[in-house]
Amino acid sequence: MDVIVCMKQIPDLQQIRIKDREPILDNVPLVWGDLDKNAIEEASKIKEAVEDVKVTVVALGSDKIEQGILEPLAMGADEAVLLTDPAFAGSDSMGTAKVLAKAIEKTGSYDLVILGEGSTDNYSGVVASALAELLNLPMISYVRELEVQDGKVKAVRNMEESFEVMEADLPALVTVAQEINEPRLPKFMAIRKAGAKPRHEWGPDDLGLAADEVGQNALSVETLSNLAPEQDRKNIILKGNLAEQIDALVDALTKEGVLGR
Amino acid sequence: MTEADEEKVEVVVVGAGLAGLSAAYVLAQAGVDTVVVERGDYPGAKNVTGGRIYMHPLRHYLPDLWDDAPLERHVTRETITMMAEGASTAITLDNDKFREEPYHSYTILRSNFDRWFGDKVAEAGGFVLPKYRADDVLVEDGRVVGIVMGEEDEIRADVVVAADGVLSLIAEKAGLRQAQQPKHFAVSAKEVIELPAKSIEERFNLGPGEGAAQLYFGTLTKGMLGGGFIYTNQDSISLGLVVGIESLMEREPKIEVHEILEDFKARPEIRNLVADGEIVEYSAHAIPEGGINAMPKLYSDGIVVIGEAAGLGLNMLITVRGMEFAVASGVMAAEAILKAREKGDYSADSLAHYEELLKDSFALQDLETFRHVLGFMENPRLFNFYPQAVCDIFTELMWIDEKPKPKISTTVIREGVGKFLNWSTIKDGLGMLRI
Ligand SMILES: Cc1cc2nc3c(=O)[nH]c(=O)nc-3n(C[C@H](O)[C@H](O)[C@H](O)COP(=O)(O)OP(=O)(O)OC[C@H]3O[C@@H](n4cnc5c(N)ncnc54)[C@H](O)[C@@H]3O)c2cc1C
Repeated sequence: MDVIVCMKQIPDLQQIRIKDREPILDNVPLVWGDLDKNAIEEASKIKEAVEDVKVTVVALGSDKIEQGILEPLAMGADEAVLLTDPAFAGSDSMGTAKVLAKAIEKTGSYDLVILGEGSTDNYSGVVASALAELLNLPMISYVRELEVQDGKVKAVRNMEESFEVMEADLPALVTVAQEINEPRLPKFMAIRKAGAKPRHEWGPDDLGLAADEVGQNALSVETLSNLAPEQDRKNIILKGNLAEQIDALVDALTKEGVLGR
Repeated sequence: MTEADEEKVEVVVVGAGLAGLSAAYVLAQAGVDTVVVERGDYPGAKNVTGGRIYMHPLRHYLPDLWDDAPLERHVTRETITMMAEGASTAITLDNDKFREEPYHSYTILRSNFDRWFGDKVAEAGGFVLPKYRADDVLVEDGRVVGIVMGEEDEIRADVVVAADGVLSLIAEKAGLRQAQQPKHFAVSAKEVIELPAKSIEERFNLGPGEGAAQLYFGTLTKGMLGGGFIYTNQDSISLGLVVGIESLMEREPKIEVHEILEDFKARPEIRNLVADGEIVEYSAHAIPEGGINAMPKLYSDGIVVIGEAAGLGLNMLITVRGMEFAVASGVMAAEAILKAREKGDYSADSLAHYEELLKDSFALQDLETFRHVLGFMENPRLFNFYPQAVCDIFTELMWIDEKPKPKISTTVIREGVGKFLNWSTIKDGLGMLRI
């Protein structure tokens, strides 16, 4: 069985600074989205539970992906497809889905495609649905429990107030929620050996896409602004001894409506 | 490669600071299978320095590295300021030598530099593993054979290089170092304050690319051993202070380091230099003060200790030095490892070559030369009496009021003799001859 996991490198959110309400992205290290890690973890678990599973990671990222890709490979993927061509950069959700669909088709065979329910940077949550449409696959989203058996996938969906149990014939696409698993921390030797696993780098040509069909040249949605909410600092300095300061803090927070609502 | 070889590496370096990366860089360039384990998100993520790095001792250690290294500004002006209550006196050195290439020293931001250096190590063929922490050494038959990470991971290696900084856990776990005393450390707090390059150049009277190093001692540490510093980076200012842990612990009433830093920043001498800047980084860090008296054993079977983990640091009141020692010790450890590798012998006897190299270098010699500095610095008069006396005399000279002024010589002699000629100061003068 062929399992495909789609992953995307994003700027490490903890390291982004906001200046004049704009995020400063220069020099911010790239990491995998948290939910992407849930996706690869789930694929690795399937591989451990079911015989004859091959896991392929299809990864979008920058040229600095070389080291980063070792992580999913060490977590259990057998092979990686790297979509790092600068032409892909700046794609919107539809563009991303298109590129992923072409790459997945090019791998030749796919029974189960797994993604995180959203990327932790933009969280538009559209890519998976678009991808399912392009690949013409049934889709189950927000999955918190997953089981593969007899050519079927059975999933429990998190509906916030309730759980929904669903089943689909393979091939299918699922998106996973964070509670589905605890991504493993790969061991050093696994990371080291991951370097020897096969990797393919595919650009637009390899996918049969023209330059104006990808990346910034093919936006269907335009981002007009991306601003952090305005935050005015109150600049209140509390005086007095510790007890007085605590009283003053409680007063101030109550006045702001943060406490005692 | 045999099956057994596949499960181990040749060298594992713990800590991607300047020391560890220098060692790894030399080893990787020589084709040694080297892994650097770093607990931070990336090399330099948490690394703190003042920072200024002196280039002359370093150039021949990693000759090909420095040309395109991301250093900040070359320092062209040195200022030492004595701070008293409500007054301060500064001495500034401008010297054309500071403007001649190759430059004497640069300011440096470690989060930028170490990250770049980590990439260099990777380019040279080393493997840098961030977000992994070494928790113990693996010992078999009395020799170190690797490190332990977390509950169930380990890296086996011919040699472990402990480069894990001032509080080195690895040296301690390997039994190379005793528990330390508080007086062997100082603690520091530092802020990086962002300002446009142009403002920095105007405020500090600098040309493009030029930098200032300013050191402060006196009342800012409230009678405690220590001092403050300001270094200008390209687009930011590093501002911080250092206080001896022992004097901090003994002080009544208690005070927190960040409060001392706030008071320092609020001084009019400092306030205007950093006005309107945005604090983009805040850090606290320990500094070794024990000097050569507090150094651990530097090697044993299968392990060497380098950089601050080896106690290689000097706090000489007016400057903290450690980065040159870190680089030099890393390179020397690598050289010793390369030699041991030729012999296929990583025993203590073989690795002892590292200590020989270190002893012949500026690093241990400087530490030896300045071994009495700490004792000298423990003198509280340095932090209250002298700065106050100097500022008082200077104020007396400069202050004009309605009363007639005495002759300058009268002022200087009266004040000078009164303040500086007594038993304590003569004793201090003699003490100074030892450092
Ligand atoms: C406030 C301050 C001002 C200073 N000013 C100057 C100056 O102006 N000039 C100068 O030359 N020196 C200065 N120093 C000293 C200088 O910064 C240090 O000597 C130097 O950084 C030491 O380098 P190192 O590589 O030995 O250690 P570090 O730079 O501390 O690197 C140690 C590395 O090991 C990692 N690590 C630690 N434990 C583990 C573990 N268990 N597993 C994995 N990784 C681990 C850490 O994350 C870190 O990356 C200053 C220091 C301070 C704190």
